[in-house]
Amino acid sequence: MDVLADLVQNTLDGLTAGAAYALLAVGFTLIFGVLRRVNLSYGAAIMFGVYFATWTSQHFQIGLIALALLSIAGAVAGGAYVERLCFSPHYRARDNSRADASSGSIAAMVASFALWMQFEEAAILAMPRHLYSFPPLYEGAPLQLGSFLLRVESIYLLLAAIVVCASLHAVLYRTRFGLAVRAVIDVPVAAQLAGINVSSVFVRIFALASAIGGLAGFLIAASSEQVTPMLGMWSTVKGMLAMMLGGLGSLPGAVVGGLVLGLVEVHSQWFFGPQMRDLIAYLLVFALLVARPAWMTRWTNIRSAS
Amino acid sequence: MDEYSIGVLTNIGLFSFLALSAYLLLMAGEMSFGQQAFFGIGAYAGGMLTAIFGLSLPVAALAAMLSGALAAFLVGLPTLRLRGLYFAMATLAAAEMTRILFELLHFQRTLNGDLVGPDGTQGFRGIRWVFENGVEPLEYLAMIYALLLVALVLFLLVERSRLGATLRSVGADPELAASLGVDVNRVKLGVAATAGALAALGGVLYAHHNTYIEPRNFDIMLGVHSLAYALIGGLGTAFGPLLGVVLDIGALEGSQVFGGARMIVFGGLVAVLLIVRPRGLLDEKTVHWIRTRWR
Repeated sequence: MDVLADLVQNTLDGLTAGAAYALLAVGFTLIFGVLRRVNLSYGAAIMFGVYFATWTSQHFQIGLIALALLSIAGAVAGGAYVERLCFSPHYRARDNSRADASSGSIAAMVASFALWMQFEEAAILAMPRHLYSFPPLYEGAPLQLGSFLLRVESIYLLLAAIVVCASLHAVLYRTRFGLAVRAVIDVPVAAQLAGINVSSVFVRIFALASAIGGLAGFLIAASSEQVTPMLGMWSTVKGMLAMMLGGLGSLPGAVVGGLVLGLVEVHSQWFFGPQMRDLIAYLLVFALLVARPAWMTRWTNIRSAS
Repeated sequence: MDEYSIGVLTNIGLFSFLALSAYLLLMAGEMSFGQQAFFGIGAYAGGMLTAIFGLSLPVAALAAMLSGALAAFLVGLPTLRLRGLYFAMATLAAAEMTRILFELLHFQRTLNGDLVGPDGTQGFRGIRWVFENGVEPLEYLAMIYALLLVALVLFLLVERSRLGATLRSVGADPELAASLGVDVNRVKLGVAATAGALAALGGVLYAHHNTYIEPRNFDIMLGVHSLAYALIGGLGTAFGPLLGVVLDIGALEGSQVFGGARMIVFGGLVAVLLIVRPRGLLDEKTVHWIRTRWR
């Protein structure tokens, strides 16, 4: 019975980690799905937002809601900087018909990597300690479910993931902006000809994705009660892994990918240790990318039909 | 020359191999996030062969190159069918798996009272062939640059040959190349294996320069850096990636003008540069222009 109890407790923990990954992956996927570009600075902009909030909380007395808003605002500002400098100059070179590795997409990706380095160094220069404490999301004992423990933070994370996905779905399938986004995904040239301002759609998608990332960053920092400069790389890698597990470019896929990644990580860490945890996660991603099973390809886009 | 400049020059030479490796794949139209894995495989294989099994460095370097080529071939088999970013992601996953395998690798032997060999995350200490055989830092530097020169000459010869044209055609439009009778898959596998060997050669030289390596040395950062080197310098000629390495390690790290804000300056420069020149400083057009001027 002990093994079974461990399994249940690990599954609860895995869902928590998974909810965080899912939020990160939704933001990452939004950019990848619409722009077909990899934004390596995604996590760095999130880290920038969270650092901005941390810095403010050290100098002023502010509440959790204000902290969340500051994180989101910081991440959006960081994201806007990345978009202006790395992505908007290369929209013209976007060649959707073939070759995802067109020169525009490589240039945009490498440029976003360069800005990641900038964010990281700026964060270290502004706040040189390796670790800063972040105000906790919830100060109390975890919930008791029979003999199992569920952290209240987990509920917040899961709720946030659900709310974000539901509102994103509403935006994409119930508004004119969503219609424009789906048109741009399907055939960018046709969307342009129909009078849709494609680069403005890109800008707004970028802002939306950064805001989701900022929220994710805030929740992650507040439930672990600490921030380090590593948050940037961590967010990019976990968001990317979850996106890849979910089939690159699908929003429901990103959520499922995040939850699967969380569950796989927690269970494999429990049974095989931390190194095997990462190895198994990468192996899963590698196998899925190489095999590309049919259910994955069916997901690969934000569909125009609802 | 003082020790510091020798160190900087050595590092430029070492990372040039990795940048050339990324560049070779870019020539054939593939963006790899995973060349650091073969750099690491070269470092570990070569280091183990000299430090534990007592082979000489040239023999170990050859063996390391072979293992790099073999590993790159094996990774290439399933992944080269993938398009663009899918290939990039798959190579990234493969490289991270390789790094974790280094973390799990424990193979230590006692030699002359010292424990030598890879010890997981603790790293791999005591790769001292260069030191034990009385090779001076300046001599080692000359060795590295001689090998780099050989690689560069080979690149320039290939770029001017029919093979070079085939490579570029595969990179520009694989379907068209295939319709002209080019076996695209075979070309790409060959390119991947060669790039793997090149990265491994850089790795084995790196290991013997540093005498100490650890799995963290071969993480994503290194891979993205090598891509960035190739792209900043330019995709038009093999001098491009070298220029990229010189700009980053030489001009910025070497000069130490900007102190702690180096990456802020460099990052901004790279992003702005790529707006003006999305295929790097020495892109195909510039290289063509220079060539016509020379004749």
